[in-house]
Amino acid sequence: MFKAYLKSKSILGMNSRNLRFIRSHNLKKAKRLADNKLKSKKLLKKNEIPVPKLIAKIKNRKNLDSFNFASLPNSFVLKPNMGLGGEGILVVYGRKKNAHNVWVKADKSLVTEDDLRNQIRNILDGSFSRTSIPDIAFFEDRVKLSKTFKPYSFRGIPDIRVIVYNNVPVMAMLRLSTKESEGKANLQLGGIGCGIDMATGTTTSAVQGKSRIIENVPNSRLSLSGIRIPNWDQILELAVKSQQISGLGFLGADITIDREMGPVFLELNARPGLSIQVANMEGLLTRLNRVEGLKVKSAKHGVKLTKNLFGGAIEEELEEISGKRVIGVVEKIKLFGKNKKEEEIEAKIDTGAYSTSIDEELAFKIGFGEVLDYFKKIEKPKDVTRENGQKIMEDLKNKYLKGHKDLLDIDIVYSSSGVTIRPKVKIRFIMDKEIVITRANIIKRENLKYSMIIGRKDLKKFLVEV
Amino acid sequence: MYSPFVEFAVSQGVPLGTVTLILMLPIVVMIIAFFRQVVGIKAFGIYTPALIIFAFLAIKAESGSFWGGIRYGTAIFGTVIAVGTITRILLRQFRLLYLPRVAIVISIVSLSTLLMLIFGGMTQRTGLASVSIFPILIMITLVEKFVAVQIDKGKKTAIYLSIETLFISMIGYSIASWSLLIVYLQEYPWLVFVAIFINVLLGKWTGLRLSEFIRFKKIIKNV
Repeated sequence: MFKAYLKSKSILGMNSRNLRFIRSHNLKKAKRLADNKLKSKKLLKKNEIPVPKLIAKIKNRKNLDSFNFASLPNSFVLKPNMGLGGEGILVVYGRKKNAHNVWVKADKSLVTEDDLRNQIRNILDGSFSRTSIPDIAFFEDRVKLSKTFKPYSFRGIPDIRVIVYNNVPVMAMLRLSTKESEGKANLQLGGIGCGIDMATGTTTSAVQGKSRIIENVPNSRLSLSGIRIPNWDQILELAVKSQQISGLGFLGADITIDREMGPVFLELNARPGLSIQVANMEGLLTRLNRVEGLKVKSAKHGVKLTKNLFGGAIEEELEEISGKRVIGVVEKIKLFGKNKKEEEIEAKIDTGAYSTSIDEELAFKIGFGEVLDYFKKIEKPKDVTRENGQKIMEDLKNKYLKGHKDLLDIDIVYSSSGVTIRPKVKIRFIMDKEIVITRANIIKRENLKYSMIIGRKDLKKFLVEV
Repeated sequence: MYSPFVEFAVSQGVPLGTVTLILMLPIVVMIIAFFRQVVGIKAFGIYTPALIIFAFLAIKAESGSFWGGIRYGTAIFGTVIAVGTITRILLRQFRLLYLPRVAIVISIVSLSTLLMLIFGGMTQRTGLASVSIFPILIMITLVEKFVAVQIDKGKKTAIYLSIETLFISMIGYSIASWSLLIVYLQEYPWLVFVAIFINVLLGKWTGLRLSEFIRFKKIIKNV
């Protein structure tokens, strides 16, 4: 019960979406831009974001009367400039043969020039705009269905909704159109939303409509999880860039993939819906809180952050992508010392420490007894401080480094328990199939649980999961 | 015991009923706001349910009983929505532009309402026949909202929102007819400011709505 309550705290509801995110991060000017498709298209294009090509726009009745419909290509999309929720959009796939200005829709029904005129008149009258104010109609290129999505989509182009906040893509879903949604990828109309693992761009779970969890494409055995979205990094980067361009602090970016052009930006959304949480089976609020206040340097940095923060539903693949292995706080390792001596131990991963250190007893076991004895005989100065430490270390190094071949270096370590002077030796170890060669310092750690600490210096090839 | 403020208003010629109704409006809209922000019942915004509540109250004043308001109010509401939907479906084949189309829908709806009133008179339901023009006009204007939502969000949502509107209207109507509340408002008109204060709290409320607990129950269960 209490856990369920905590879980509910991770969900973004309408109230906090409106008050905490839209109201305070999406300024009026940016919202107006998002609601104006032509204007945002122009701005995005200017900033080198790929968008579907504009064919023609019809601003008023006069434009409509003089418009030459024969000049339209075989396939195109007719859209209202200020339309919302995908309303008023008309898509045609080809011209009907042996007929003058007749096109064919996805469901094979015909669209005549008169139908188009009527639709445009309705658009101009504002039938589809947010506040019923007069609108502009425009034609643009139809995006061509990419091969990856072909089996999953019913008569429509799937698109990817990415929520971006503070220049970090926070959550994403793949939207597919279905028979119920009449070829539209809108969840409210019965479309499908698939949650996406942010690190790999692979779908995880799926929802149809507002809250029905499904596993397969309706009426088929095709699984909706495990779909690998091509050009994933590029899609995330486009989403972040569109945030920087539009100034929408809380943005829903709609991006699709064209068979020839690759990722294409469809729409900016200033009021992204909440169903994306059901598609991902996870709350959005926790994620938003996590990226709040982070300093994000570039679009690439934002993409990297989301991969590290919100990836991992599919761990194996994460390793493959970032080239890093995911390890825990305590990891089993195989340690190689002198004279082919080896030892299997549990080491503590400590990102708070810079270098790796091992316990004296362990050092003995793997063949460093000699060098330890040698080091103990050295007369060490007592009152070492941070000020004179550097000089003392230089002196010691000059005097004793040549005395034993295993003594590679001498280190002074300042820690909460005081200052210690430690010998450094060369070791090798294998952690999670990865070979690491390093210089470890030796210290008495007998009352501590782990006989080895691995520090930051040797963790470059790993991601530590706490 | 009326408060001096109410007494003064009445002595200046403002009818007591009007004073009470106007004082009731802030309470009613606060309740609608509460249902939106905390419970999650959308209805057709705040304006339409508030008007319908007052239409119900007006019908009650004429029919003389609480249930009269509910019965006749619901009858008119239902007629308006049903006739509005049917007319819209019949008109679809003619492919008309938006405003003329809505104008035709409103015309048909008003004629049907008139027929219903006549029918009420014929079957001795005098309360229905004698309903004044004010509540009827309010209900008829509901059609425009209904048609707009139908175009915007689909038939299902429009019908759903109509039911929600009717539900909220009934609750608001019950509260506004509550004699204890009426007496209190006449005695302590400043209760209106309490309602405004509650609105401030509602306006800052960022918690999940009750309906969202249901909407996201699968995520919540998936601990």
